[in-house]
Amino acid sequence: MTAIAAPATSHRVTPAPVPWHLYAVLVAATSTVVGVIWDISWHRSIGRDTFWTPAHMAIYLGGVLAGCACGFLVLRTTFAGTAEQRAAGVRFWGFRGPLGAWVAIWGAFAMITSAPFDNWWHNAYGLDVKVLSPPHVLLALGFTGIQLGALLMALALQNRTDGSPSPTLKWMFVYAAGLLVTNVTIMGFNQVAFANDMHNAQYYQVAAVGVLLFLAAATRASRLAWPATATAAVYMVVTLGMLWILELFPATARLAPIYRPITRMVPPPFPMLLVIPAFGVDLVTRRLRGRANDWAQALAIGAVFVALLFAVQWTVAPFLISPRSENFFFGVNRWDYSSRPGAFEHQFWDTEGGILGGRTPALWLLVAAVLGTASARIGLAWGSWMTRVKR
Amino acid sequence: MRRLGRVVLLAAVVAVASAHVGSPDTVFEGTAGPYPVRVVIRTPGVVPGLADIAVRVTGGPAVKTITVLPLRGGRETAALPPADTARLVAGTRDLYAAQLWLMQFGAYSVQLTVDGAAGRGTAIVPVMAVATRRLPFDVPLRVMLVALGLFLTVGALTIVGAAARDSVLEPGVEPDAARRRRARVVMAGGAAVLALALWGGRAWWNSEDASYSRNMFQPLHAATRIVPAGVARAIRFTIDDSTWLDRRWTPLIPDHGKLMHLFLIRDDATAFAHLHPVARDSNTFVAALPPLAPGRYRVYADIVHESGFAQTLIDTVTIAGPATAWRASDPDDAWWEESRQPSAVSGQQDTLADGAVMTWQPQPLVARQDVELRFTVTGAGGRAVALEPYMGMAAHAVIAAPDGAVFIHLHPLGTISMASQLVYQLRQAGDTARGALGRRITAFEDTAPRAWMTGMTPALSFPYSFPRPGHYRMWVQVRRGGRILTGAFDLQVN
Repeated sequence: MTAIAAPATSHRVTPAPVPWHLYAVLVAATSTVVGVIWDISWHRSIGRDTFWTPAHMAIYLGGVLAGCACGFLVLRTTFAGTAEQRAAGVRFWGFRGPLGAWVAIWGAFAMITSAPFDNWWHNAYGLDVKVLSPPHVLLALGFTGIQLGALLMALALQNRTDGSPSPTLKWMFVYAAGLLVTNVTIMGFNQVAFANDMHNAQYYQVAAVGVLLFLAAATRASRLAWPATATAAVYMVVTLGMLWILELFPATARLAPIYRPITRMVPPPFPMLLVIPAFGVDLVTRRLRGRANDWAQALAIGAVFVALLFAVQWTVAPFLISPRSENFFFGVNRWDYSSRPGAFEHQFWDTEGGILGGRTPALWLLVAAVLGTASARIGLAWGSWMTRVKR
Repeated sequence: MRRLGRVVLLAAVVAVASAHVGSPDTVFEGTAGPYPVRVVIRTPGVVPGLADIAVRVTGGPAVKTITVLPLRGGRETAALPPADTARLVAGTRDLYAAQLWLMQFGAYSVQLTVDGAAGRGTAIVPVMAVATRRLPFDVPLRVMLVALGLFLTVGALTIVGAAARDSVLEPGVEPDAARRRRARVVMAGGAAVLALALWGGRAWWNSEDASYSRNMFQPLHAATRIVPAGVARAIRFTIDDSTWLDRRWTPLIPDHGKLMHLFLIRDDATAFAHLHPVARDSNTFVAALPPLAPGRYRVYADIVHESGFAQTLIDTVTIAGPATAWRASDPDDAWWEESRQPSAVSGQQDTLADGAVMTWQPQPLVARQDVELRFTVTGAGGRAVALEPYMGMAAHAVIAAPDGAVFIHLHPLGTISMASQLVYQLRQAGDTARGALGRRITAFEDTAPRAWMTGMTPALSFPYSFPRPGHYRMWVQVRRGGRILTGAFDLQVN
């Protein structure tokens, strides 16, 4: 019988308690993600909005909370911190604070800047004519900064802990990574949200580029055993949570023309089953770690991810676009009030030139795998840097 | 950000143009069932946008609630959005206000519902939702955004430098020279990326701005020519806009029985004509030219489309040579010349061609405030005279600014087009073929009693909201003894 030696107790360090500001920034990052998903639902269900909608408040609450918490943290560290606390920060115009706090503060300022800019934009060019506009991109950069700041703050604490960091800290890092993945799927709403796009090459290409950056980085920098799977699980839990919660709330469309009488908030589409390709990424990473260079690892990650994502989503897509999936679990009431009912609801979209209509499905998947490999390679490099972040 | 600010500043020219030239507000005076109301709708000049609607109850039974609902198009939808309740403006007892969400370009009908002591009454007010405005990027906002943009740019570079220099060092360890150098290189790279992003942002903004400018409302292009017509002359007005020739607009429908109301205003406002050209084909409209004094004239042509969209086409024409004999091509055509009038134009009174006197009841005029311009027509001894309907209305009026940038064709019902209102009253779900609704409106105008005609009293009133301060000339046209009589007034708006 082989005894597994316990680590020498002399090297064991009790993990330091997780500081309050990390909780605050993670709550802020969550608030931004929840707010954005809520806001999209608001526009699809109610249509009419003002600055003061609850969804906007959730987004800006995230900015205010992160800004205040990190602002307080850097002021306290600079003017009232111990030598140890100051030494654990980076310098910024004479101030001291964790790198993640500065990124979150930057994000909060970007969000603040976007508000008057967006207001002017609405007055000049019309109310939300397009989702993608310069002030909205600035806002998105802002809340992404807060999510990134949360990730970096959890990371520095995790990396500074001697021995094994607390499970809370490890999960906090992965949670922040999961929020960033959710963020990517929100930004790629038109490409990777609807099941009707799942027989379209672009779906796999956008998913590979957008998601693998974070999954690959997480596999490198997280101390969890199955970091990509855990990150993907966070994305799925957040999206499913919003799906199931939003459809509980009554709503009425308030802008003409109304082509569908809305009774409940239109929830986000059912999430991609990301845990399965992410599990593949974890398996590959565990197998190749220390045996292959980063290029080879990135290639394997890209190929496995695209193959598994394709296998899963291609297979479930016909069910997801069929009336059989119109239930609470998969989401009912899933179309905007302003969209005319039509056959498109149960059809695959834009398949011409893509996988379904094209003659070269393998080529399109190959393109997705190549793009995914490039994204994974950047993610691994970023992850390698993150393993060294201490402040 | 600074570059962006400069670009927008250069582009920030406030140009005011509208379906009614330079007069973007819609004013309606009428009734919602038993309730007399005056409605002023101030459009935002941008689409989608929020218009302000003010409903003034001008008498009648007590009002409990007023709701407003803007509707676009006539297609069947699954449901109507809930109407908005207009709130009583603080400090007033008869003024209600709300906002209208105008989300698409084109003609809207605002359904006004009044509930009160005499039950429920409704009215339809047509509104044109068009982008007419370039919003300036004003200095305080620009300064603030440039400052924040600079802060964000420099802040981002500082963070990038800190990430490269300090973040991977054990706490307390100072970066060595090599690391500092590397951080500077990384920052330089970051600066290049940021510069590229800002440059891309500028290009994006410019392209959005250009796209907005392309979608700003421009009336259909038209050309005006004076052409010989036997021994006389005619004015030929041709809509030559490619979007019209390509039939991308719905056909025209008659407004007050005429497909087109064409106005000629001499540059110095000393001559004026209100004509109703006859359609030769769907593009060409011809009217006999009155013996107007030579000179350059501004041409305004009011037309209404079957969609309910009303617009004023603009052009100029030079009338040269001696006047020729005139035989009106439409019995409702009329012209006026200051030099031939019995009295000079003043702000108060004008003697009409038949000797009757038209008098304006003066009141202070303030820009962007709704007013009722009241006139009376009296005969010998100051006694009120009987007027006859002129194209179904008690009177027609035109208000123009000396520079031509403001022009409005007014009725006692306000600025709205009667034909647009009819579109919403007579439209049926089955009206999918071009021209079907137009034919019904024509038949209605030909046969139905002039239900909209206001009582033929010698007291006239025109509700209006002047768009800007300055000097205006107003022509008021009435019919008496079979003649169309024109009075002119000079108004000063503060």
